[in-house]
Amino acid sequence: MTFLKKLLEFSGIHPERVRTRWVSSAEAVEFVHEVSEFVEDINKLGPNPLRAKAKEAA
Amino acid sequence: MSTKIKEAVRALLTEGKIKGFLGLREESGNVMPHLFCDPKELDSLSLGDWKKSGDTRYPLNQLMIQLAMAYPDETFAVLVRGCDERGVKELFKWKQLAEDRVILIGIGCPDELAKACECEKPFPDSLIDGPKGTKAENEKVASIDKLELDERFKFWEIEFNRCVKCLGCRNICPMCFCNECTLEEANLVDTGEVPPANPTFHLVRAIHMVGRCIDCGLCEEACPADIPLRTLYKKVGEIISKEFGYKTGFSIDEKSPFNIIEVK
Amino acid sequence: MEFKTVLSFCPYCGCGCGLLLEVLDGKIVGTLPSKTSPVNQGKLCVKGWTVHEFVTSPNRLIKPMVRQNDALQDSSWEEALHLAATRLKEIKEKYGPDSIGVLTSAKCTNEENYVLQKFTRAAIGTNNIDHCARL
Repeated sequence: MTFLKKLLEFSGIHPERVRTRWVSSAEAVEFVHEVSEFVEDINKLGPNPLRAKAKEAA
Repeated sequence: MSTKIKEAVRALLTEGKIKGFLGLREESGNVMPHLFCDPKELDSLSLGDWKKSGDTRYPLNQLMIQLAMAYPDETFAVLVRGCDERGVKELFKWKQLAEDRVILIGIGCPDELAKACECEKPFPDSLIDGPKGTKAENEKVASIDKLELDERFKFWEIEFNRCVKCLGCRNICPMCFCNECTLEEANLVDTGEVPPANPTFHLVRAIHMVGRCIDCGLCEEACPADIPLRTLYKKVGEIISKEFGYKTGFSIDEKSPFNIIEVK
Repeated sequence: MEFKTVLSFCPYCGCGCGLLLEVLDGKIVGTLPSKTSPVNQGKLCVKGWTVHEFVTSPNRLIKPMVRQNDALQDSSWEEALHLAATRLKEIKEKYGPDSIGVLTSAKCTNEENYVLQKFTRAAIGTNNIDHCARL
């Protein structure tokens, strides 16, 4: 992950757009919390530049 | 520089220590890889300096792997620069070459070439002739690091858009030896689509270069679209060096953090 | 035991990129771009890179074959040429020369392409000739 984040950063993609977290099926509450938080953080970063490219191509 | 090399190889051949020497030969103005089995052939030996220093380098390691597969019990010698030797050291660890079957004939690169390559170590340990050049600064990577995130994205987007998926970078890479390559996997890479997924295609290759890329620059030389691949893979090497303390091709024992498969 | 690289030129398009064929014990095992060729300067396109693959491909036709009962059967030059000539004549007589079209290739030599267009225009009598690169 460390490597991937740095590589993405070098390529112009914000490293915080990728996250890993181990979750077990017994941790339902934590999972929901993690995902909701992630969605909030991502929204703060704004639209992904790759998405804009895909829209342009289409 | 080639006299010392010629003599070293001549000795190995006449003493029967090697079956052949994998080097370069110049004929009718062309430089090409060649396996010298007879000392008489050494008159046409070239070191890959055709019109400029190091302008006709070829992936000799890759050819060495083919020879080793066809003749696993024979010993060969191979011409190596600083980068090639890094490659050979890794190939030993990746079990593609056998340490006791490969003799290295090392040449050092002049400062002009070392600077152009921004080489970490422009001479091999097994140096027979040539200068022990100085390490050059990594300006190409630094110039991209200076850019803002969205500028970087734009930069790479433009570069990768020129890719025609010739796979020259992968084909010429002396460290690429996989029988099944991700870049040709029908499920992952669409056929008939050019440029390939931007930037995913190139980032995937970059990830595969972890612990493999020896910074020889042959990929960038082979790219018909002049994409700064070497700069991207240099960054990969930098990240691995900083985060994992691993420098590709410097150690004979220490394996890359991505080399975890044991081959019995 | 012998390993060498042989300078050759790409048979595909008209660029004429210089390439090196890797030859191990008389067999072509790989392709490398020639760094000393002014045309391509050490670079190749995907077709040039895979030249060695078609040379030794098991799909290559190595003898004349004729389709009988929906399957290709081994034949002889006489039989195959006779069949082709006879059928083309029949089709030309029944449906006219414009019912026949000829498609040539950049992998043919200039001389072969000349003969093919002469054959199409003079022998068959039609202008229906084209080339994979729309020559």
